[in-house]
Amino acid sequence: MKSGQAEIVETSKAIQKSGLMSRRNAILEFILRIVAFFNTITSAILMATTNETLPFFAQFIRFHAEYSDLPALTFFVIANAVVSGYLILSLPLAFVHIVKSKTQNSRVLLIILDVAMLGLLTAGASSAAAIVYLAHKGNNNTNWFSICQQFNSFCERISGSLIGSFVAVFLLILLILLSAIALSRRH
Amino acid sequence: MAKESTTIDIGEPSTVTKSTSHAVVDEKKKSFVTAAGGGGDKRGLTIFDFLLRLAAIGITIGASSVMFTAEETLPFFTQFLQFQAGYDDFPTFQFFVIAIAIVASYLVLSLPFSIVTIVRPLAVAPRLILLISDTVVLTLTTAAAAAAASIVYLAHNGNTNTNWLPICQQFGDFCQTASTAVVAASISVVFFILLIVISAIALKRH
Repeated sequence: MKSGQAEIVETSKAIQKSGLMSRRNAILEFILRIVAFFNTITSAILMATTNETLPFFAQFIRFHAEYSDLPALTFFVIANAVVSGYLILSLPLAFVHIVKSKTQNSRVLLIILDVAMLGLLTAGASSAAAIVYLAHKGNNNTNWFSICQQFNSFCERISGSLIGSFVAVFLLILLILLSAIALSRRH
Repeated sequence: MAKESTTIDIGEPSTVTKSTSHAVVDEKKKSFVTAAGGGGDKRGLTIFDFLLRLAAIGITIGASSVMFTAEETLPFFTQFLQFQAGYDDFPTFQFFVIAIAIVASYLVLSLPFSIVTIVRPLAVAPRLILLISDTVVLTLTTAAAAAAASIVYLAHNGNTNTNWLPICQQFGDFCQTASTAVVAASISVVFFILLIVISAIALKRH
């Protein structure tokens, strides 16, 4: 009887500890979601407000540049906006995970949606990165000139807005990791 | 009489503990049996996971090799334009070939882990490792496929605002081959998403 009691006390302690760990897990997830939301919305706004007009007019060179001139950058803005909207909408669900204890099905749903959003965000960020690289370096073999030599601040803007997006990609990977660990931990 | 009472006293607690331990053992057996029963569904999912991995290996190797061998030499020489196009003229396509090759080798290396999850459907650690590394590789594949896709789009349509001419009008064959490789990589992205979903569902405990 004594050993049985000791066992009961031990298992209840273990359950308490795991409850604490999963709560910490859920709170960390909530915080990461908020940080990722800020990253994506900043990227989207930075890219969408690019607008540069050169002060002089030359015969062959275009004198106005904005994000909608390049379709890959438009896709980038849309992808970031969609992902930031998703992150805001998933905050209540993440909050429920902190409070409730039996959250398996909703966690699976959250992992699936997170993976889909990760794919969308990575696609937007990397296609924009390819175009930005081209804008910086140009391509001699195809006679594609680098436009950064004329539009300096435009180039800096579009390069900087990529950073927030890639940080959000990394945070989304962490979020999926946390959800998976929390899923596998349930007794 | 005293002896009887003592035997009764000793007898009772032992039977009480026996019954509770029996109850515990029964419960443990029950939970084990239900877990083993749930292992049946998981086994089906895991076999599907293994088959998906095999298909993804084929597709990624195909995509990488198709892009690697995309080459075209024009039969005539023009004054302003290059008359030869290959994958190494575009840094993005170089990144594509290398990244998809890395993904293919990762998939081959992950086959043993998948086999382990088939053999032991209740093991958590291999599934978790597979899910995490699949997520990282999904990001790499999507990045390579999307970057190559944006360059292929540019090659098809050009861009009037930046004076970038569409090269597909001269190098039609090269464009076609590159587009095929990008489409194959995108299909492998879908496969990876399915793999992660399967791992997540299989991780769920009943």
